[in-house]
Amino acid sequence: MKQPPLLARAQARMAPGALTRDGFLGADPRDLVEILQADDGAVRRLGLTHEAIGGAMARLTDAALERLGATARVGGFAVSAVEAMGQLPCPFGHAGLYPKAEVRARRTRDGAERAWTALHVHLVRDHGFYQGRGSPYRIEPADLAGFLGLGPAAD
Amino acid sequence: MGDVLTAVGVLVGLGAILALILVMAERKLVHSGPVRLTINDADPVEVPGGEPLLSVLRERKIFVPSACGGRGSCGLCKVTVRSGGGPVLPTEIPHLSPEEIEERVRLACQVKVRGDTAIEIPAHLLEVEEYEVRVEAIEELTYDIRRLRLAFGPGVAFRFRAGQYVQIETPIYDGLGEPVYRAYSISSPPQGTGAIELIIRKVPRGICTTYVHELLLVGDRLTLNGPYGEFYLRDTPAEAVFIGGGSGLAPFESMLADMAERGIRKKVTLFFGAVARRDLYDLERFAAHEKAVPGFRFVPALSDPAPDDGWDGETGLITEVVGRSYGDMAGMEAYLCGSPGMIDACVRVLTAKGVAEDSIFYDKF
Repeated sequence: MKQPPLLARAQARMAPGALTRDGFLGADPRDLVEILQADDGAVRRLGLTHEAIGGAMARLTDAALERLGATARVGGFAVSAVEAMGQLPCPFGHAGLYPKAEVRARRTRDGAERAWTALHVHLVRDHGFYQGRGSPYRIEPADLAGFLGLGPAAD
Repeated sequence: MGDVLTAVGVLVGLGAILALILVMAERKLVHSGPVRLTINDADPVEVPGGEPLLSVLRERKIFVPSACGGRGSCGLCKVTVRSGGGPVLPTEIPHLSPEEIEERVRLACQVKVRGDTAIEIPAHLLEVEEYEVRVEAIEELTYDIRRLRLAFGPGVAFRFRAGQYVQIETPIYDGLGEPVYRAYSISSPPQGTGAIELIIRKVPRGICTTYVHELLLVGDRLTLNGPYGEFYLRDTPAEAVFIGGGSGLAPFESMLADMAERGIRKKVTLFFGAVARRDLYDLERFAAHEKAVPGFRFVPALSDPAPDDGWDGETGLITEVVGRSYGDMAGMEAYLCGSPGMIDACVRVLTAKGVAEDSIFYDKF
C-alpha cells in the first residue's frame, strides 16, 4: 500500500533526533504504513484490539506515575516509572502532550520484565503503533499481549 | 501523428504556464524578501522573510527559551504575535490553551515570518545572552546525577537570580542531525559570577543528558544561553515550603546559598523526595544551610527505602510527607521543582491544604 502523506509526515517525526534521541523506528526499513498494517494483522490474529492492549498498559502506567518513582503493585505486576522534566508530543500529530517517562513493569509470578514509555501507551492504544523493529521500546504485539496476560496469547 | 504532437505541445505549454503562475503567486503571497519585525513596540527592524520566528530572533541574539530546538515539542517558546504570523497551526494547538489562542499567543518555532510582523516578548528575555563556557569540574552525586561546574571566559560576569535556569546546547553526536537545547536550573549562588553549577540527572535515552553523562569531559566547551525563568524566592514574610525531587534540588541549593549570603530571614522547609538512600545527595550541604540560614529546615524523605538503607527518617511519597507535616497551609508559599507529574501532585495537595494557587511557584519545563 502506498503511504499516505499524513503517515509520511509522521514517519519523518519518528526519525532519531526529531522528537527523541533514538526515534521510534529503529533499523526497520519498512514504511510506517507497512509497520502499522503488519502489527494490526498480528493483533487481529490474537483476537485482540489495540485499545485492549493499550488499556492494559495504561493501567500499569498510571499506577506507576502516581507513585512518583516508587514501585506500585497492580494485579500481579510491580511497576515503577522514571519521569523526567518536559513532555513529548505524539509523532502522528495527535493533540496532547505526554509525560517523558519510562515505565518498567515486572510480572511478579515469573520475574518477566518489559519497559515502555508513557507516549508508547498512546501510540499503541490510539494508533496501533508498536514502534519499528530495532527501536529500543519495540515490543512485538504477541509478546506484549502475552506479558500483560491478554487474550489467547496469555501465557 | 501531427495531432498528437500538437496535443503534447499544448499540454507542455499549459504546464509551463501553470508553473509560472505558481512561482509568481508564491513570490507574491509567500514573502521571502526582507520584512519588518516589531518587538515590544520598539522601532521595526528588517529581517529575512520566510524564516521561523524563533530563528529570526536567535539571529538577532534574542533568545526565547526553547528546549526542543524548534521542533514544536516543548511548547516553551511562546510569544504574543500582535500582527502577522498567519493562522495557528495544528502543531501549536496541543501547547496552547483557548485563552492563549484568544490572546494571540503562538509558538515562535512554528510561526514563519512571511510578512511584516509585530510581537511581544517578556522584557527580561531581551537581557538573555549566549555564552561559551568551559567544563571546569564534573562530580558524580548519585548513580544517575552529576554536578557540572561551568566557567565563563575571563572578564565575563554572568548575572542571574537564584532559582533561574540556563539552556545548554547539546552539540551534534551519534549522527543526530542538529544541536538541541535543554533547560537546567542553576544550583550555585548568584554571588559567584565567573562560574555556575548545574545538577543533571540522566534521563533514559535522553538526547542532552546522555551527552552530559557519557561524552562530556572536564575541559570541554559548551554553549549556553540564559538566564531564564520567574522561579525565584519572593520577598515576603510568608512561610515557604520548597519541594524537590531528583535533580530538582538545584534551584533550592542556589536560593539557600543566596539566603545565607544575603542574610535573608524567612521560615523555609525543604522537602527532598527520593525513592531510596542511593538517590539522596548533598545532605551535608543542606545540613550546613540549616546552620547558616535562620528558620531553614531540611526534610529528606524516601518513598521506597531499600532493606539495607537503615533509614530512620521520613518515609512515603513526598506529597504524603508534606501533607502530614502541616495542618492549614493558608498564607504559605510553595516552590516546586521536579517532573510535571510531581508538580501536579504537589499542587493538588497544597491547594487542598489551603495554599493559594498564585502562591505556588514552579518552572514546568
